[in-house]
Amino acid sequence: MRRHLALILALAAKDWQLFLADRRAAVLCFAVPIVLASGFGIVFHKTAGSSDGPKLQLLVVVEEDTPFTRRVVDDLLASPRVEAEVVTAAEAERRVADRRPGVAVVFPAGFDKLTEWTPGKAVAHRPKLRILHSPLSEGEGQWAEGVASEVVVRRLARDRLTPWVGGDGAVSLPFAVETKPAGGPGDGFNSYSHSFSGMTLQYLLFWGMESGLLLLRERQRSLWARLRAAPVPLRDVLLGKALSTAAIALLQVVVTFGFGHLVFGVTLTGSVAGFVLIALGISALAASTGLLVAAVGGTEARARSVCILAILGVSMLGGLWLPSFVLPGWARDVALSLPTTWAMHGLDGVTWQGRGFLDTLPNAAVISGFAAVFLAVAVAKLVTSEARRRRGLV
Amino acid sequence: MTAAAALELDNIRVRYGSHLAVDGVTLRVGRGEIVGLLGPNGSGKSSTLAAAAGVIEPVAGTVSVDGIRRTADPCGFAKRIGLVPQEPALYDELSAESNLVFFGRLYGLGGPDLRKKVDLALTRVRLIDRADDRVSTFSGGMKQRLNLACALLHGPLVLLLDEPTAALDPASRDALFADLHDLRDAGHAILLSTHHLDEAESGCDRIAVLEAGKLVASGKPHDLIRRQPGNRAVLYAHLREALPRFFVRGLQQRADDGVEIEIVGRRLRLSANSHESLGRALAMVLADGIVLDAFRTPPGRLDCLLRGVPVEPDATEPVAPPRR
Repeated sequence: MRRHLALILALAAKDWQLFLADRRAAVLCFAVPIVLASGFGIVFHKTAGSSDGPKLQLLVVVEEDTPFTRRVVDDLLASPRVEAEVVTAAEAERRVADRRPGVAVVFPAGFDKLTEWTPGKAVAHRPKLRILHSPLSEGEGQWAEGVASEVVVRRLARDRLTPWVGGDGAVSLPFAVETKPAGGPGDGFNSYSHSFSGMTLQYLLFWGMESGLLLLRERQRSLWARLRAAPVPLRDVLLGKALSTAAIALLQVVVTFGFGHLVFGVTLTGSVAGFVLIALGISALAASTGLLVAAVGGTEARARSVCILAILGVSMLGGLWLPSFVLPGWARDVALSLPTTWAMHGLDGVTWQGRGFLDTLPNAAVISGFAAVFLAVAVAKLVTSEARRRRGLV
Repeated sequence: MTAAAALELDNIRVRYGSHLAVDGVTLRVGRGEIVGLLGPNGSGKSSTLAAAAGVIEPVAGTVSVDGIRRTADPCGFAKRIGLVPQEPALYDELSAESNLVFFGRLYGLGGPDLRKKVDLALTRVRLIDRADDRVSTFSGGMKQRLNLACALLHGPLVLLLDEPTAALDPASRDALFADLHDLRDAGHAILLSTHHLDEAESGCDRIAVLEAGKLVASGKPHDLIRRQPGNRAVLYAHLREALPRFFVRGLQQRADDGVEIEIVGRRLRLSANSHESLGRALAMVLADGIVLDAFRTPPGRLDCLLRGVPVEPDATEPVAPPRR
C-alpha cells in the first residue's frame, strides 16, 4: 500500500513539474477562467435591488393620427421600460428583419375605435394591436406585447374614468408591486457570483480534457514503453494522473474564486465547508472526465472534437453560461441528469444563496457519484485496452 | 557462451493481430556480454526487444531474466530490466536530473540513495554539468546518453537497447559503444538491435540475425563472417543532412542492379557486388550534392546475411525449429 502511494505521488509530482515547466501556459490556465468569468459578469452585471432594470428596445409604427392613439403612443414612448422610436411601417419591417431592434409595435388604422368600448358590452369589431418580431426575438415580442397592452389599458382606463374621478383623470394601480430576489440573502448576490461559478466549472472540464489528451499523447510515445516496462501497475499510473489533474483543478478553483472575491466582491454567503466539499467534488469530476477522454477518445483529434462538443453542451444545459430558467422546460428536465447542473446549483447555493452545509450534501453526493462512475469506467477501459495492447491485439 | 544466462528467450512468438512478428526465437544473453540483434526493417528486432522488456506479451514461449519470469514476479522481473527505446523516452520539459529522479522513484529509489545514483548516472554519461538544464536544450547524442542513464539508474542486470545509434553522429555512436563496453565489463547483459552491420561486427560479442521474425543465424561476428561464401563491397557513411524520402527513392531507382542504398536518418549504407559497382554508386550519390561527413569501408561480409544468402546456424545457439 505504501509503495503504491509513493508511486502515485511520484507520478503526480512529475505531472505537476510538467505543468509548471511552461510557466506562461500555467499562468494562462488560471487567467482564462478569470477573464471569461469577469467578461460574463460585466455583461450581465446587476446588483440586487437595483431599479435600473433592462429596457426593451422597440420600434413604434402609427398608422392613424387620432387623439387617443397619439396619447397611447406618447405614453409608450415615456414608459421607463422601453426605449422606443417612431418609424414608418416599411422601415420597421426592414429593421426588424435585421434585428435592429427585433420587435415593433404597430398601431393600425382604426385603433381608436377602442374608445367606443364600454364595459359590459360586446364589441363587434375589436381593433388589433400588431406586434412584429424577428423569428429570433420571440421573447422580446412577448415582452413588447405586455408593455404595450399595459400602456393601452392604462390610457383607456384613464380616459374612461376621468368623468367619474375628476381632475386629470390620473389612475394608479390599486395595489403596490414589490420586487425582491428570492433564493438567498438579496444583499449577497451579484452577477459575478454566478459567472465565476459557471466559468470556473466550465474551464475545469476543459482542463480535464487537456489532461486526458496529454495521456493519449503520452501513450503514443516511447515514454509509455519505458513506463510500462517499469515496475508500476497501470492503475497507479492512472491514479497518479487523476491526482495531479484534480490537484491543479482545485488550485484553479481557489485562484479563480480568490480573484472574484478580491476584485468583484464574490462572497460565500453559505457554508464554507460546503464550498470546500463542492470544490473537491468538481476537481475530482475534472480529473475523472480527463481519464474518460483518454479511455474512450480513440485518437487525439477525435477525442478533442467530441469533448469540446460535450463540454459546451453540458455547460449550456447545466446553466453555466446563463441561468437555466431561460431554457425550455424539456431542457431543464434533461439538465437534471447532468453533473454540471448539480455542481452549478451547489456553487450558487454556497456563494449567493446562503445555503448551509447539509443543503450542499445532495449536490456534493451527485457530483462525487458522477466522478466515481467516470473514474471506474475509465480505469476499466484503459486497463482492458492496455492488456490487449500488451497481447498484440491492438 | 561463456557466462551464465542473464536473459533467456525461449521459443517466443509475438503476434500483432494476424501478423506474426516474431516466430519462435530462442536466444540467451549472458552476463558481461553484448548481443546484437541484426536484421532489416520489419524483421522482428523491436518486437523481440519489447517482448524481452515485458512491454509485449509473447503468445507462446517464455522470457526470463536471471531465472525470473514476468508472470511469476512482475516487479522482480521489471527491476532487472533497463529499457532504452529508440526514440529518447524523456520528458523534454524537465531537467536531466528531474527525469532521472522521476524514473528512479518508479523503481522504488528515494532519499540519499537516489541522489547518489542520479549523480553517478549523470557522471557516467558525462552530463553532470548539464544536470539542471532542460532536456529540450540537449543534442541528439546527449539525449541518447541520458536515455541510457535513465535505464541504468536502478542497476538492472539486463540492458535492452532498440536501435540506440539511429540518430547519432559517428562520434556520439562511438562514445555510446564505449559506454556499452564499460557496462558489459561491469557485468551487465546487453541486447541491442541494429541494422548497421559495422556496429554489429565491431561492437557486439555475438550477433543474432533475424529475418521475417525468425532467427536465421547467430554466433560471434568473425565466425559468421568466416562462413560466408562471398564478399560484398560495403560503405558506411554519415550524411551531413538528412534527406527527404523522395530523394532517397530516386537514388535507389537509379542505382545499378545489385546495388543497395539504405538511408536511415543521417546514416548511409551502400552495398554492391563489386568495388566497381560500389564506386559508381558512390559517384552517383556525390554527384547529387550529398555531403558525407565521415565514411568507412569495412570488410562487409556480414552483408550477405541481410541479402538472403543462406548461412548455417551457430551450433552453440539453439535455433527455433521451422514453424508453419
